[in-house]
Amino acid sequence: MVEQAEKHFWERALKWCRSLAGATVIATIVIALIVTVDRGGYVLVNTIVTGGMTALVAMGLALTLGVLNIPMFAHGEYFMIGSLTAYYVFTPIKGIIDANPESILALFGPLITIVAAMIVGAVAGVVSEVLVFRQLRQRSRENWVMNSFLLTVGLSVLMINAHQLFFGADFKGITGYFSGMPINIMDVYISRDRAIAFVLAAVVVTAFWLFMTYTRTGRAIRAVSQDETGALIVGIGLNGIMMLTMALSCSLAAIAGASLLFMYPAYPSVGLEPLYMAWFVVILSGLGNVLGAVMGAFMVALLKVMTVEYIGSGWDFVVPSALIIVILIFRPSGIFGSEVRGVLDK
Amino acid sequence: MLLEVNNLNAGYGFLQILRDVSLNVDQGEYVCLVGPNGAGKSTTLKTIAGLLAPMSGEILFKGEPIGGLPGNKVARMGISFVSEEMNLFVNMTVNENLAMGAYTINDKQKQKARLDFVYDLFPRLVERRNQLAGTMSGGERKMLAIGRGLMSDPTLLLVDEPSFGLAPLLTENVFNSLDVLVKQGMTIMLVEQNVTKTLAVTDRGYVLENGRIELEGRSDDLATNAHVRKVFLGV
Repeated sequence: MVEQAEKHFWERALKWCRSLAGATVIATIVIALIVTVDRGGYVLVNTIVTGGMTALVAMGLALTLGVLNIPMFAHGEYFMIGSLTAYYVFTPIKGIIDANPESILALFGPLITIVAAMIVGAVAGVVSEVLVFRQLRQRSRENWVMNSFLLTVGLSVLMINAHQLFFGADFKGITGYFSGMPINIMDVYISRDRAIAFVLAAVVVTAFWLFMTYTRTGRAIRAVSQDETGALIVGIGLNGIMMLTMALSCSLAAIAGASLLFMYPAYPSVGLEPLYMAWFVVILSGLGNVLGAVMGAFMVALLKVMTVEYIGSGWDFVVPSALIIVILIFRPSGIFGSEVRGVLDK
Repeated sequence: MLLEVNNLNAGYGFLQILRDVSLNVDQGEYVCLVGPNGAGKSTTLKTIAGLLAPMSGEILFKGEPIGGLPGNKVARMGISFVSEEMNLFVNMTVNENLAMGAYTINDKQKQKARLDFVYDLFPRLVERRNQLAGTMSGGERKMLAIGRGLMSDPTLLLVDEPSFGLAPLLTENVFNSLDVLVKQGMTIMLVEQNVTKTLAVTDRGYVLENGRIELEGRSDDLATNAHVRKVFLGV
């Protein structure tokens, strides 16, 4: 019996490897290893850190798309809110740490900062759902995808300009969350901030996945994304789930913004780059596919790092964009999206 | 009366479908709603289930007004709707779908009891329990939809077109399981295209035409009624 189950597992694994999704994942890992051998370990480190953070933003985007059916173009602004919050929370903490470096805040300050950003991000998400999207939903669901898309673009413009008006257009950044020597792993030096950023991304992605798979509320979110009417029939309140989804996806983006503050200082349009990256990922992995978004994030990150490495840093948006065009022509449902219906069909 | 619908008017946007529909269902009854295509049978069920807001009229369930409540509130009051499209969660397994059906039940023991009850009624689902709902055959999906509707231990089951798109043998299966449920005391309101079969199994029926209730009465009387025979059976 066990033997049979094992055989069954290997058969399925083999089948998955032969599918487009499996082939792409395996190709990505192989290419990543080849490039690492060719150019050195820092390429792998860069890929993993960028990929982890992109995964956070892209997961939120995929979730918003899958559950609320909104093609979100204001998602980068929640990243911006995260980095702005982190800047204003961490600057005073940094003052205390500088005054007495032995303080316990040196360890917990960054964590407090990121949690604060997460909370502010979640609140911003709830506010935009209640004040903007719910209003539209109650008035008309006709042409929903197009109308909500336009609404998100407007929201994005509004938030970028509000930032400029209230906080100014200058760069508000920090030198780093943790001082101290970089960590040395197999002759590759990784700054402490980067290492923490990756660990954080891994923890958050795992926690999120567990939440979506094993909790009642997580299941309800998935249920709404798969069939809204079905969810209503079994007694799931749509308003609550949609609010929660917005809170979750926006706080994911805010976590990314806060933990990358040492790389991307807060300024009005800081969210554009992560937004584009996240859209590349979501198109690559299939609309509304949350798990696929995690794998897609590492692929896009690798592509970006390789472009910078071999072609030049000015090209790091051109090559992924070209890839997206190719994918949209040949496989519009994305690499992992064979069973996911297009959002417009719903 | 378990369910009482008085002078219900409903429709989509500016298009009115139901005109002054009045009907009632008593505890333990097996009632059917028959009528030609486009008569408004599904619209009636959707309005009762809270998926569609009524334009006017009254819907009372256990004496409380439920007209205009959202679907999730209606479901929590004890009405389960098995829709024609089934509205299953296609990327979840059979087990997960059934677990979602018990979303309103917090008691773990009771959830388990409901699951056993449903697996007892549809042994076929046990074999398929780890399969994704989207990959099952039409008959199995229908069973799953009914099973999911039963998970919440409803007082009233609304079933829309259980035979739609099914082979005759599978239709027979579905009807048989509904019979079993009725014998156990479940109250069912059934909407069906298959008029002969439906009138043969149910207690009482309503005939809906162009959004109005044209006839009502005991099913065996309806089955021999000249008007019904002319319109539906062509004899």
